[in-house]
Amino acid sequence: MALYKLKEFHAPKNMQEAINILGKSQEAEILVLAGGTFLHGLEARGLLSDVEELVDIRKAGLDAIRDDDRGLLIGATVTFSQIQTLPSVQRTPWLAGLSDALAYPPVQIRNTATIGGCVSASCPFFDVPTALLALGATVMVKGGEAGERQLALPDFLAGLFVNSLEPGELVTAVAIPKCPGNGASAFIKLEGNANDLAIVNAAAYLSVDSQKTCTEAYVALGGGVAETAVLSDAARQILIGSKLDAATLQTASEAVTADISPMSDHRASAEYRGAVAKVIVRRTLERAIARLA
Amino acid sequence: MKKMLTLEVNGDVHELAVELDATLLRVLRDQIGLNGPKKGCDSGGCGCCTVHVDGKAVYSCVCYAHSFDGVKVTTAEGLSSGEELHPIQAAFVDAGAVQCGYCTCGMMMAAKQLLDECPRPDEEQIRHGISGNLCRCTGYAKIVDAVKLASERS
Ligand SMILES: Cc1cc2nc3c(=O)[nH]c(=O)nc-3n(C[C@H](O)[C@H](O)[C@H](O)COP(=O)(O)OP(=O)(O)OC[C@H]3O[C@@H](n4cnc5c(N)ncnc54)[C@H](O)[C@@H]3O)c2cc1C
Ligand code: FES
Ligand code: FES
Repeated sequence: MALYKLKEFHAPKNMQEAINILGKSQEAEILVLAGGTFLHGLEARGLLSDVEELVDIRKAGLDAIRDDDRGLLIGATVTFSQIQTLPSVQRTPWLAGLSDALAYPPVQIRNTATIGGCVSASCPFFDVPTALLALGATVMVKGGEAGERQLALPDFLAGLFVNSLEPGELVTAVAIPKCPGNGASAFIKLEGNANDLAIVNAAAYLSVDSQKTCTEAYVALGGGVAETAVLSDAARQILIGSKLDAATLQTASEAVTADISPMSDHRASAEYRGAVAKVIVRRTLERAIARLA
Repeated sequence: MKKMLTLEVNGDVHELAVELDATLLRVLRDQIGLNGPKKGCDSGGCGCCTVHVDGKAVYSCVCYAHSFDGVKVTTAEGLSSGEELHPIQAAFVDAGAVQCGYCTCGMMMAAKQLLDECPRPDEEQIRHGISGNLCRCTGYAKIVDAVKLASERS
């Protein structure tokens, strides 16, 4: 009991109703509720004591999944467990990094946490956003003054626990574009114990042509290496056009230093994060390469 | 402020006036009187509050009760039929997987989720399946044995 000012618990039955409630209540302290796994942590720390209304969007029809040749379109309230059971996530190499990341949280969290909640939290210690960054994910937004927007995930993650949503806006889905050709992804988390957030995590997506030359590369890092999960452009530039040999992987892994500014906390020091980030990135690249056809 | 909520818990339907910010755990323990689900960390870190909502294991301490109007909840009390223990409960007894017992109800509900999905797990799958549940007493070895035993018997 720490939402002392809570006076409304909305459970809208469709998206429009949810958007109307968010739009109307711009004066009140109103929060979207999805799985609640992150929100509850904020409540426990006393950070939500001003909240007057909660809008539980899990019955608002935002749970559809489209899986076709354009890629994946995952409704905001789809849970991690539901994503794990998609045949394409289980079997296609280009989505394997998402599958890796989804396996880390305990089953109770996988059954509850939603994809919309995990990106909206903009928490630099989560795993799934890192995997989504490497897959070029886009966040679909509705409501507010703009009515409808699409934001590339790096633009959506505005800062430490801050996203780019304007008042009245809601994440409705996350889109992952289909990989053209021969591509594969991977994700690795370094963790202190099985139920803790990451010390460092990394995701990589690579594609190659028939000569095994790298045609596209995305390397993402999270786990407190910056205020949000980030993409490493330095690593990308080194990998594209290369043959993905051991020396190139080593150089690319070391180059991520240019794109991160690790923090110190109870899990690890900034120095440690900076040092292991390179190792985790190299291992993640190796895992992705092993999955290429 | 309170609002009415309907929950089906272990087959019984309850209509309750529930605080807007109450967690499912609080309603189960304080309003329905079930003490199988325990309050440990109250923040999703230990698993002793694990119950099933529509057949899926969740931490009842991180869920707002009003999110679950009309759902079916199963707690450890709902595993047995009358006096007859569920195979998972019997296996925990037979394997000696209980010391202080604080984690046990949550552990069994995590085991149930695992065995529902994967009836013949190997040791690694068992350890992954219960990775969201802490036990401070047993060192896990006998809990793993119990889950193995339950899987062999069913
Ligand atoms: C014990 C525990 C272990 C965990 N382990 C892991 C792990 O191993 N790996 C990992 O990646 N993560 C882990 N997590 C974090 C978990 O992934 C996130 O808490 C979860 O993804 C948040 O999603 P949710 O649906 O529960 O969001 P909520 O808590 O409901 O919401 C999160 C935030 O986003 C807002 N919000 C939610 N949905 C929307 C929307 N559609 N539009 C706009 N705003 C929205 C809410 O207002 C809130 O501010 C763990 C969490 C816990 C508690
Ligand atoms: S009491 Fe719910 S996870 Fe610890
Ligand atoms: S038996 Fe005591 S915590 Fe598990």
